Amino acid sequence: MSTPEFSGTHRRQFMATAAQSLLGVSFASYARSRAFADVAAAPQPVAIGKAKHIIYLFMNGAMTHIDTFDPKPDVPEGGETKGIQTRVPGISFGEKLPKLSYLAGALAVVRSLSTETGDHNQAQYLMRTAYKQLNSIRHPAMGAWMVNQKDRLNRDLPGNFLIGENNRHPGAGFLHASLSPVPISDPDVGLENTSLPKYLDEKLFNRRLVLAGQFDRRFQGKHPNPEVEAYNHLYGEAKRLMGSDKLEVFDLSKESEEVRESYGQNPLGQGCLLARRLVEQGIRYVEINHGGWDMHQELYERLDEKATMLDTALSSLLRDLNTKGLLSETLVVLATEFGRSPELNVNGGRDHHPGAFSGVLAGAGIRGGQVYGSSDDRGFSVESDQVSIEDFNSTIAAAAGLDIESEFIAPNGRPFKVGGGGTPVKELLT
Amino acid sequence: MNSRLSLAIVALLCCCSPLLAQKTGKKPAIAKRTAPAKPPVSRLPASVREQTPVDMRVAPVIASRRDEAAASAAEIDRLVDVKLAAVGQRPNPLAGDELFLRRVYLQVAGRIPTLPEAHAFLESMSANRRQELIDELLSSPDYVSNMYNMWAETLRLVQSPQPNIVADPYLAYVKESIRDNKQYDQWVYEMLTADGKTWENPAAGYQLRDEGMPLPYVDNTVRVFLGTQIGCAQCHDHPFDHWTQHQFYELAAFTAGTRTRSSGGDMMAAKGKPRGNKSQSLIKEAQAKYPNGRVPGPLQRVARANAYNVAEVKAALRLPHDYAYDDAKPKTVVEPAVLWGEVPKTASGKSGREQFAAWLTSAENPRFSQTIVNRLWRRFMGAGLIDPIDDIRDDSVCVNEPLQKHLCAELIRLDFNLKELTRTILYSKSFQREATDYQVTSGEPYYFPGPVVHRMTAEQVWDSILTLAVHNAWPFQRPTAKDIAPTIELDLASATLETLEAVTQKYSSTYFQAAYRRSLAPHAYQGNVLCRASELPSPMPAGHFLRQFGQGDRETIDGGDSTATVPQILAMLNGPITHVMLETGSAIYDNVTAAESSRDAIDSIFISLLTRKPTSEDRKLAASEISRASRPGEGYGNMIWALLNTKEFLFVQ
Repeated sequence: MSTPEFSGTHRRQFMATAAQSLLGVSFASYARSRAFADVAAAPQPVAIGKAKHIIYLFMNGAMTHIDTFDPKPDVPEGGETKGIQTRVPGISFGEKLPKLSYLAGALAVVRSLSTETGDHNQAQYLMRTAYKQLNSIRHPAMGAWMVNQKDRLNRDLPGNFLIGENNRHPGAGFLHASLSPVPISDPDVGLENTSLPKYLDEKLFNRRLVLAGQFDRRFQGKHPNPEVEAYNHLYGEAKRLMGSDKLEVFDLSKESEEVRESYGQNPLGQGCLLARRLVEQGIRYVEINHGGWDMHQELYERLDEKATMLDTALSSLLRDLNTKGLLSETLVVLATEFGRSPELNVNGGRDHHPGAFSGVLAGAGIRGGQVYGSSDDRGFSVESDQVSIEDFNSTIAAAAGLDIESEFIAPNGRPFKVGGGGTPVKELLT
Repeated sequence: MNSRLSLAIVALLCCCSPLLAQKTGKKPAIAKRTAPAKPPVSRLPASVREQTPVDMRVAPVIASRRDEAAASAAEIDRLVDVKLAAVGQRPNPLAGDELFLRRVYLQVAGRIPTLPEAHAFLESMSANRRQELIDELLSSPDYVSNMYNMWAETLRLVQSPQPNIVADPYLAYVKESIRDNKQYDQWVYEMLTADGKTWENPAAGYQLRDEGMPLPYVDNTVRVFLGTQIGCAQCHDHPFDHWTQHQFYELAAFTAGTRTRSSGGDMMAAKGKPRGNKSQSLIKEAQAKYPNGRVPGPLQRVARANAYNVAEVKAALRLPHDYAYDDAKPKTVVEPAVLWGEVPKTASGKSGREQFAAWLTSAENPRFSQTIVNRLWRRFMGAGLIDPIDDIRDDSVCVNEPLQKHLCAELIRLDFNLKELTRTILYSKSFQREATDYQVTSGEPYYFPGPVVHRMTAEQVWDSILTLAVHNAWPFQRPTAKDIAPTIELDLASATLETLEAVTQKYSSTYFQAAYRRSLAPHAYQGNVLCRASELPSPMPAGHFLRQFGQGDRETIDGGDSTATVPQILAMLNGPITHVMLETGSAIYDNVTAAESSRDAIDSIFISLLTRKPTSEDRKLAASEISRASRPGEGYGNMIWALLNTKEFLFVQ
């Protein structure tokens, strides 16, 4: 077996030493660029709660764990994916992730996630909010909590962004509308319609806005309604944005062609680049929601492109953040809603599999160079150190220094906690 | 008409209206030299400028049933009022004609009324004018468009559920089923049992939506039509409901014989032998012929699309190899069994799919009726009697059980005629009362003192803006099976590369991506094709106005959303879609220029945008705005823009 399996404390001790040795001889001799070496050196101990920003890559549709971060090359269920040895002794990834393998010293891979449902929508909601989807309440996603508890660093720009598809995202949940992510459907396009039409000057624009408010007074007086209130608030936000010189952040053409290319010329790559630019401007939370992982058919015809996109985008993001000195204050998360079935179906695809799957953490507050938990030899069930969705969320929250202990009372009268009352995984945190 | 004023307005909208400002601004001298009466040139596409009747014959309401519907509506009101009284609440007062008019247009026609439509209703002296309007709207193409939009979200209607499936005929079929007011039970039965290619039998597109995913197909079908979620039981016993994994497999066993791809020859004949794949071999042949093996996209599409051919064979379903419960061994064959009740006797001896469909759509199957009744009630009243409508459990709370019973009984009495059931709901005072600000997330039950205030759906926003902007919001309709079949049909069994190439030529010049997009371009304004949402491609790209306003990606059931976002507001403030109506030749432009006095113009603007006359306060504001503007037309432009950016415009009350 190419991936030695360890369990319990043995494995954890091994990983800890592996991570340390990695910083010395074994990695340095392979490092070709300064950025590389720095990323690998990133898992220096930092205080819990170090992360000022979070970049959250969501692999929508359910990323196959067996073909990415939890390869099983020695059993038929492993399919066509072979493992490749990463720079961390004893850890291998799927062969389609060579660049991330090189950066394994910075990554904490969790192989023991499991969730409660095989329904995309419900599982995504659970992953993003740490709560089950109910009709009587909408829970906030982590980005809303970040801005709610830590406030904005940049007064001109909203604190929470969502790049890519925004279908049914829980957003700010029951928290204030100002905390909901600003959706950017296409990173290449950025935020559209931010300037006035040519015929309209600012004075006239303002007069029109005042007029709209005056005409709307009767309706608004009659309808005290949080949905209406959300619009009122965001009109203010939109207006502030229109006048801002910070809008340049959305202009990816300010980056060199080389940098843009290094992230990959695709929505995930450019989304990661935009995320880095936003974080540079002090944005608290950026989610990049990237679909196309629901591979029920001909998985191996589609995997290459997807995995390469991910490998390039995430590795470039980590290096770039590190070069700019941002990795020590930015937590990077790779998440998905569940795994894919070990058994390949008749159409050469893998179906939904909530029983075991993988996620990745890196950057601020995270102890890299390790695999935490394991699935069984077929990738079917969690074998050791199970990490629940609540635990995973609590770990993220803890790395960002959010209050995961206090109980909040939601509008429907139920108590709840950031991270869903899970337990942060100490081994993953620095 | 006051000619001085009319000229002033033209000048205003023309010179000061956004998009013409530069043009006229640049060449004022020329403008002066030419005859002043010459109408300004419109930049709107020609196809949307002229009022044109929609070519669609819609099944009308049954005229003779009006009294029946009214009586049944009275029973709805009685049951609502009994419940309200029991919980110590009072019904809201009846909404005035203006409120009713706007609501009924938005909820039934999917858009706000035009100025003439508003005048016609508000000036009607008929005692039955509300019922008359309801009947008229239910019998109109607008109703078809509106209900199509609802089903498009529920059924996740997309043109290509897999890259080479051509599902356009199925999308048109859904629209046609609504147009013909097909009996609901028959419509669903048809979709669940259809065989063939989509352009031969477009109902087969329902099956192809979940092509290659037989178990999610069962899950989705049960959720959409029976309001029940058994998906969890696909992998293990349901954690919150009582469904077992074994039950899931028993139900799925009915549809285990469904096949969605044909090999190109006789499917039964290929039994026991490796199936030749004709479309694959044609593509291989083409690879050898074309330089560097580059087979043109349309050729691959035609070859593969013709292989998607729904059929049913005899087949058994086995439990998964990891089945972990004691009641059966892994990999044993499961006998089909329904979740509750029994397969109707009339279906005995029929195929598995037919038995499943007969059970699901039976009048004896309570959740089939319950689910559609709730779906319609929620669509028109803003919340379900059971909410969520598609996760009904034995212990689900229905806020008004007798009312639900009444509606279900009516549905069956009406032979699943959804239009007549809708008519009953719309006739009720309950629908016609003033609306309440209620949040489902408040956790409080809602007993329907009136409908719920809600933001327009994405399609309602889009179609309403089109109503203001263009005289013809329907320059084309989505392609149907009849349109597409002759461009793509290929008999795989007898096909040769030559016949494939001949068909490809037809397809690539008509409905293949780029060609079809090109055919829509003449209807575009600044890159936005101006046509009703129901006719536009599906899904729309993520950055489109409709998606910004929450139209679903059509991947999740009922994935549409109506929460506020910054890009929506930026689109309303600065985007081309809101400025299209300030163009010369837009519907609102023409309404304002036709007004005989400034008072009339102000009225027209208010009625066009908000479906109501201005209040005296509004009039004062408007008059002052017009006097402040450097030219009166600028004032009108400002008013239009301002009203469009009110929340009163965006919310349905």
